[in-house]
Amino acid sequence: MVTTTGLELIEVTLLSLYVSGMATILGSAIGIPLGALIGLKEFGGKGAVKTITYTLYGFPPVLSGLFVYYIFSRTGPLGDFGILFTPTAMIIAETFLVIPLVAGITITSVVEVDKNIKETVRAMGASSKQTILTVMREAWVGLVMACMVGFGRVIAEVGAAYLVGGNIDGKTRVLTTAIMLETRTGNFEWAMALGAVLLSVALCVFLFLRLIQEREML
Amino acid sequence: MKPTIELRGVTRRYKDVVAVRDASLTAMPGEILGIVGPSGAGKSTLLRLVDLLEPPNEGELFIEGEAMEFSSPKAAGARRRIGMVLQRPVALNRSVRNNLAYSLRIRGADEEEILGKVDQELKRLGLAERSLKNAKTLSGGEMQRLCFARATIFDPDILLLDEFAANLDPSNVSLLENQLKSFISTGSNKTVMIVTHNLFQARRLCDKVALMWDGRVIEVADKDKFFQNPDDQRTAEFVKGEVVY
Amino acid sequence: MKLNWTVAVAIIVVVALIGGAVGYVLCTKEDKVLRLATTTSTYDSGLLDYILPEFEEEFDCEIDVIAVGSGAAMTHGKNGDVDVLLVHSPAAETAFVNDGYGEARNLVMHNNFIVVGSVADVADTNHSANATTAFEKIYDNGTAGNVQFLSRGDKSGTHAMELSIWKNLGLNASLFSDWYVGTGLGMGDLLDMCEEEDATTPSYTLSDDATYYQRLSEDLIPHLEIVYNYQKTDGLLKNQYSCIVLNETRFPHINHTLATEFKNWMVSQEGQDLIASFEKYGQQLFYPNAVGYTPSTTSLKSSTSAVHSEGQSNVDAVISAAVELKVKVHIWCDRW
Repeated sequence: MVTTTGLELIEVTLLSLYVSGMATILGSAIGIPLGALIGLKEFGGKGAVKTITYTLYGFPPVLSGLFVYYIFSRTGPLGDFGILFTPTAMIIAETFLVIPLVAGITITSVVEVDKNIKETVRAMGASSKQTILTVMREAWVGLVMACMVGFGRVIAEVGAAYLVGGNIDGKTRVLTTAIMLETRTGNFEWAMALGAVLLSVALCVFLFLRLIQEREML
Repeated sequence: MKPTIELRGVTRRYKDVVAVRDASLTAMPGEILGIVGPSGAGKSTLLRLVDLLEPPNEGELFIEGEAMEFSSPKAAGARRRIGMVLQRPVALNRSVRNNLAYSLRIRGADEEEILGKVDQELKRLGLAERSLKNAKTLSGGEMQRLCFARATIFDPDILLLDEFAANLDPSNVSLLENQLKSFISTGSNKTVMIVTHNLFQARRLCDKVALMWDGRVIEVADKDKFFQNPDDQRTAEFVKGEVVY
Repeated sequence: MKLNWTVAVAIIVVVALIGGAVGYVLCTKEDKVLRLATTTSTYDSGLLDYILPEFEEEFDCEIDVIAVGSGAAMTHGKNGDVDVLLVHSPAAETAFVNDGYGEARNLVMHNNFIVVGSVADVADTNHSANATTAFEKIYDNGTAGNVQFLSRGDKSGTHAMELSIWKNLGLNASLFSDWYVGTGLGMGDLLDMCEEEDATTPSYTLSDDATYYQRLSEDLIPHLEIVYNYQKTDGLLKNQYSCIVLNETRFPHINHTLATEFKNWMVSQEGQDLIASFEKYGQQLFYPNAVGYTPSTTSLKSSTSAVHSEGQSNVDAVISAAVELKVKVHIWCDRW
């Protein structure tokens, strides 16, 4: 419907959670190990890699959408999978936005772990792999923060979601694209209401993540 | 008898600073070797070289008679048999119990065994009631004792201590020294290398003492000889506290 | 509270698997789905929400509507991302068909462009003989510094129409000075901007009537009115909509059967009458003009009650929606 009804509100909210949630999970699954390796291992060009990662924080979401569009459009290389205009395409586009953000914050978090920890742990006989894992656990607060920031970025983005999703009623409409639609048609109050829903959803997710963040680890 | 630890002509450089210069040293099984010297003499670096935390630029290192290449799997294996307490050891951000368990876990011990050993250590440390609290809440002395326990809980044959009782009040110092004594008594061939600023401590604990100066090993002698009748002039001045740094 | 790593990892793996399964299900395009690309102005008018359910029910299918800018809709057509287009840019459409992307331009309906300005109508467009003259007056007043003209500037159908009128006068819009403002905004936003700007400088713009009425009904443009209306004399300001099925030879994957059925239905008596019966803001917004169409005498579905739920308490809406959703979920699960 052009104007979102009550039922559509629920559908749209659930889809927002699904798309952004999956993108955050996938993006973190890639970004956290990536960030830990970049942060803790020495290799040539490390400084350049870090700079590039941080630069990608400012990567325009709509650009990510464009890349995904070109790959999955019917005339594109992976067009035959028919992923365009489905939530899967939206997830892929948003995952690309999450990865650099999560990786970058992970880098900072693991690097900031007290140098003595790395030394101490190595002195205790930990192997390279064990050292990295232990440092990551010491950086737990920062890692959860990375996921939060990643989620925050994608739950609020509209450019990529609109471009590769198509804002199809009941299939690829999420909160942000619905807000865009309502604004475009002049229903500003309803747009604001949708915005409030989005913020509430984000609040719930962040509350949950905060609980995880502060748990006493084994 | 083969020495437990042997350094032959070891040099360690950082860019243009030479921390350890052509050092040769041995420690025999069952021996407690103290390493003393002024600040910046390279004592800590020497210890790190022995623990295979850093590679020497020149010279060779032997652990229990076998030559050690820095990044070889043999070296990794050796490191697992060595317990080390760093100058500033830190507690991991987890419970006291899990800090102790950590060195056992990374060696792949099974949980039952770990539970037993950890409980034992906790009792000895007097931290049994606080075993589930975050280790960062411990006082300085308690933390240090925890770190010492952490380094010995897996029963290593070699123990390296870098100023392990520095900055502590006398009662904690003596607690730690008792911990060391009980560790040594668990086996007849425990080798300990201990870096210390405290000459009284060296006298109390060590069998042999070595003086390091400006990266070199100046003199190694039995305790009595070292303090009363050393060969080198610098040693004599050092033990009298007459050297101006 | 302690966190057991094994359990945590297991939960995450399960969540990821469920997510993947849901994604797969939501991802597959079935035979009964038709993808239609159209413009935002068409979609925002509410016409499609009114007529498409009839088609979906009759042909037992779903229509996925992708509403984007006019240019983007054509691009989706050229890339074969959809099955059928409903657009209103005659020149672009002709090129589209000639270049082999689409089968043919099937005329469906038209609405009207209007010139919108403030009540004062400083340029006196109201007394123009035709659209060209109206624009000429705007041009004269603009260059004299009395008024300004706001343009879509986004290659939309409206923009194309506007440029063609300037062209009729032998003028090149890209050479206009500051009185001509190229914005890149959508139609609704442009009207809002016009309303704002009018407070300082008398502003004019070209708009489609549907968006104008919609903005008017929301009381967002109290100071603007239609200063020149096509109905006065010329057919120049006609906004013609066409339905184009994509070329099957070029895009073998498209749902050609359903797309053709849709196109046929749009130009059929039934579809055309339905379009005519769509009313909003007390007006008929679209005038069907498929080849050979004559209005039916039988009365049809009355005007839309559907769209705005403004009066309804939102809490009630959410509750009834939750119940609806529960039923929907049951039915969906039943499919398995």
